[in-house]
Amino acid sequence: MPGTSERIARLLDEGMAAIAAARGESDLLDAKGRFFGKKGAVSAILKGVAALPADERRAVGELANRARAGLESAFDARLAEIREKERLRSEGRERIDVTLPGRGPMPGHRHPVSQTMSDIISVFRRLGFSVHGGPDVEKDYYNFEALNFPPEHPARDMQDTFYVESTAGDLVLRTHTSPIQIRTMERMKPPVRIIAPGTVYRSDSDITHSPMFHQVEGLAVDRDITMADLKGLLTEFCRMTFGPGKPLRFRPSYFPFTEPSAEVDIRCVICGGSGCRVCKESGWLEILGAGMVDPAVFGFVGYDPEEYAGFAFGMGVERIAMLRHGISDIRLFFENDIRFLSQF
Amino acid sequence: MKIPYSWLKEFVDTRLSPAQVQEALTMAGVEVSSCRFLGEGLDSVVTARIIEMRPHPDADRLSLCKVTDGSTTFGIVCGAKNMKAGDAVALAKIGARLPNGVEIKKAKIRGQASEGMLCSEQELKLAEASAGIMILPEDTDPGKPLADALGLSDWLLEVEITPNRGDCLSVLGVAREIASITGEKVVLPGVPFPEEGEPIGDLVRIDVSDPDLCPRYTARAISGVTIAPSPDWMRRRLALCGIRPINNIVDVTNYLLLEVGQPMHAFDLDRLRGSRIDVRAPKETLTFTTLDGAERKIDPGMLLIRDAEGPVAVAGVMGGENSEVVDGTTRVVFESAHFSPPSIRRTAKRLGLSSEASYRFERGVDPAGTVYAADRAVSLLSRFAPLSVAKGVIDVGGGNVKPRTVPFRPDRATRIMGRVYAPEACAEIFGRLGFPVSDDGTGTWNVTVPTNRFDIEREIDLVEEVARLSGYDSIPTTYPESKAPEFSVDDRSVDVQERAFDFLRGRGFSQAVNFSFVAGRTWERLGALLGFSPADAVRVVNPISDDTTLMRPHLLTGLLSNAADNVRRFVDDVRLYESGKAFGKSYAEGHFEEPRLGVILCGKRLPGDWSGADAPADFFDMKGVVEPLLRHLCASPVHVVPTRLRPFFEEGKAADILRDGEAVGWFGAIRRELLDSFELTGPVFYAEIRLAKAAASPPPPGRYAPLPKFPPVFRDVACVFPAGVPVGDVLAMVRVVSPEVEEAAVFDIFTGEKIGEGNKSVGIRVKLQPLDRTLTDAEVHSIHSKIVNLLENRFGGKIRTS
Ligand SMILES: [Zn+2]
Repeated sequence: MPGTSERIARLLDEGMAAIAAARGESDLLDAKGRFFGKKGAVSAILKGVAALPADERRAVGELANRARAGLESAFDARLAEIREKERLRSEGRERIDVTLPGRGPMPGHRHPVSQTMSDIISVFRRLGFSVHGGPDVEKDYYNFEALNFPPEHPARDMQDTFYVESTAGDLVLRTHTSPIQIRTMERMKPPVRIIAPGTVYRSDSDITHSPMFHQVEGLAVDRDITMADLKGLLTEFCRMTFGPGKPLRFRPSYFPFTEPSAEVDIRCVICGGSGCRVCKESGWLEILGAGMVDPAVFGFVGYDPEEYAGFAFGMGVERIAMLRHGISDIRLFFENDIRFLSQF
Repeated sequence: MKIPYSWLKEFVDTRLSPAQVQEALTMAGVEVSSCRFLGEGLDSVVTARIIEMRPHPDADRLSLCKVTDGSTTFGIVCGAKNMKAGDAVALAKIGARLPNGVEIKKAKIRGQASEGMLCSEQELKLAEASAGIMILPEDTDPGKPLADALGLSDWLLEVEITPNRGDCLSVLGVAREIASITGEKVVLPGVPFPEEGEPIGDLVRIDVSDPDLCPRYTARAISGVTIAPSPDWMRRRLALCGIRPINNIVDVTNYLLLEVGQPMHAFDLDRLRGSRIDVRAPKETLTFTTLDGAERKIDPGMLLIRDAEGPVAVAGVMGGENSEVVDGTTRVVFESAHFSPPSIRRTAKRLGLSSEASYRFERGVDPAGTVYAADRAVSLLSRFAPLSVAKGVIDVGGGNVKPRTVPFRPDRATRIMGRVYAPEACAEIFGRLGFPVSDDGTGTWNVTVPTNRFDIEREIDLVEEVARLSGYDSIPTTYPESKAPEFSVDDRSVDVQERAFDFLRGRGFSQAVNFSFVAGRTWERLGALLGFSPADAVRVVNPISDDTTLMRPHLLTGLLSNAADNVRRFVDDVRLYESGKAFGKSYAEGHFEEPRLGVILCGKRLPGDWSGADAPADFFDMKGVVEPLLRHLCASPVHVVPTRLRPFFEEGKAADILRDGEAVGWFGAIRRELLDSFELTGPVFYAEIRLAKAAASPPPPGRYAPLPKFPPVFRDVACVFPAGVPVGDVLAMVRVVSPEVEEAAVFDIFTGEKIGEGNKSVGIRVKLQPLDRTLTDAEVHSIHSKIVNLLENRFGGKIRTS
């Protein structure tokens, strides 16, 4: 049917003209709808192909398909052209100042003591320790007696204690987080692997002492724990906290609840060992107290010291935070000056 | 404790230098915190004598001196006037760098050459202040280094003694420690003296009525002594160690206290009534004046030294005014005793009186050393003071002193420390310590511990000796065997806190840490406003100041003062949070403590915003933090209800957060009066969450529900309500009108004349989401009618038609 072929040719011409004449995307889409969209004229012819006599079907179908393909590619080309023109036009007019601040709050800041505490906790949790807490207002028994500080022993002078009003007269503000050792061992049988973070109190106040501060205490009890294990663990802890290449020094010391006891020093992070004010010219900084659990402590919790051994360690969080951040006055931590907090 | 190196050398002739002693002692557990050369800065300072002194021709205040160091004469211009020709002085030569940092150069002062400087004690840092230059004793030879002339060619060690090592609180004790480390020998000085007076028993009678509190009491007596200053060398040593020289008798007792660690006391024998001493604790309360002039109340059980009529000393703590050595004293009894440590500690504590003596007795003084100390005192004194020593020594309880035997298994040390200690190595260490060992071949040794080592009672104490004297650096590093870690309740609270911190940080809040204390005065003034009676507070018995009197019952006061402090420092936009405990009394347990999270907000809604939205923050900014925070912590659903229970909030701008009917937190606007007392102006919003209760249990894992396959339908309803209708309740009811209602939200709210006084208009958008079909118009209409019905009949609303 020659009429159909001519119609197709005409539609092709008109379609091409409409595409060429389109001034914007909507004109173009309109042309597409009229000529070769789903409901367009060319598509209608294609849909009608099936009704044609068999001898025409093929020729008309081919012609219509070719016309549609031609229109499509003209459409794509024109669309790209229009968009490019549009882009060039809007450039300059719609450009925004990307350097202006974004909308919404900037993140706040973590308190350096809390952050340090949290870092210490996560190191030990990774090493298989679990967290245990205890009360701040503690019984004398847990804070002193069961930790092998007998009532009339000068070791009690090592910690200036706040006493709390109570009918029995046996309450103190815990002077260390060590009572948690006792409370945990009373509750569970070995193996024990705990860390005990918390606030502690001493009646003392100057630039390196604060009436309240934070400690993290650790305890491991098992059949064959040794002081060598303690050395290994703390060496690993210091590497993870202060970075590699900082030698440690273990030297004998005294705590009533550990024996043998050790004080752990790290190579001064300020001067690297040559001596400075912070390390009092010694080249070393004291960061930890530690030792093997005293058999007397096991006696209080009913562990057999012939069967089990354990180690304990404790550190002051403020001290470590001061060393990490170069802070020399502990009181800054408790002023909560936003200008201070914003530095961390 | 301060110890001169030269004094140590008198007891152990160690090959270690002062710096090596410092290192060795520290690494053995006797920490030497400093080791200072006393002659620091005195290198080019020598003794000299003034030959001639005349006024400076051109300056009234200056003098010209000619001084000699014995071989050379120097011309010196000097500003001081306290010297004269013939005086011995300290001359800093050209090139000296003085302890105060001054460098001495050749100089011309007002036209006159000065070839050095005559120094004051202050310039040499020998005194805090000085009036003129230092004048040396007349017999000083010129030309000697000043450090030698003053005994300053020495080092002063500052030793920190842990409470278990009372035996190291003396020169002898530290010398023994050095010997234990190096294997060198300690040598006790001989104590020769003529013993030619009357028998001591004829001079004084001594009884110990409470031998449990005083296991040994030793005494020596002297007569014919004249009270005078002690020699320079002794005065200098005492002063170096921080003890003020007094007179020859008292100085000798203090010298022995420092040297061998035996506290001694000197009684004027003529002032002891009835010439007798009785060591006895009173059965009644009495008063007594100690030699510091203070009147003390003595309770029953405190051990006293008494004469025939009454107390003359508080045993082991301090002597009495009535028997102390005075200027006219000629006859003296020296007490050298051993008192029970707990008894001395109790007495000193109760009297609030700590002395050098009580400090040592509390920590344990060697009961075997009393006689040596008494003899050494008499012997030293007889070297520089004419006297007559009574024959014999009184020694009550002397026969009872016996060393202790402690069992020891070498393999026990190996097991505890994680390194091998050969039996021979252990034996060698005990040898250095002077602990005799008996080994009967059973594997358990019997180790004899001398009476000065109060800290060694058990096997573990011996293990420590072996470990510390072998050096901790010889212990290898191993790792504890790994075990399945436990996940405790507190592990969870740590995780919850970290989630909360991260959330708040993302919302622009910084973390504060405040003391758990609150000041007493704050509570007296503001108790009612803060909603807590000080009577219910946990109270500190011995606060260091008013600031540490009470334990905080909530976190509000800390954060409020943080806000005020920051505003005062021109930081107006405050967003802070704190995690910490609150404390209070409870009937069941005496007190309670609870973890809380406090959040404070004031200033602009969006600090730093440039798009015109710099409105001040309001109640809903706080709610918009707290509610999502609780959701973030995965607590089960909470309800926000108005509250009147929190007096610190403004009425009508306060809410409680309920979970299962229990308040797990509260938030609101801080009331005016409270802001005033903290000098804050702008509105301040505060929230406090009971962390443990709000996030008590971990949330169950989410359950999958099939996603809808059909399009939702949205319907907007605008309705006018009386102002008091809670919109939250309206939304909650709308949500349950029909299962198809998936969400109901407010899109608009306003008040104004148009809708009538006392009303508010609320626009609510409802999302209808059928699961299994497309809603028909009839269904949508029916649900809409139900909602309208609810709004009108339940909440008194009127639907607005636009
Ligand atoms: Zn340093």
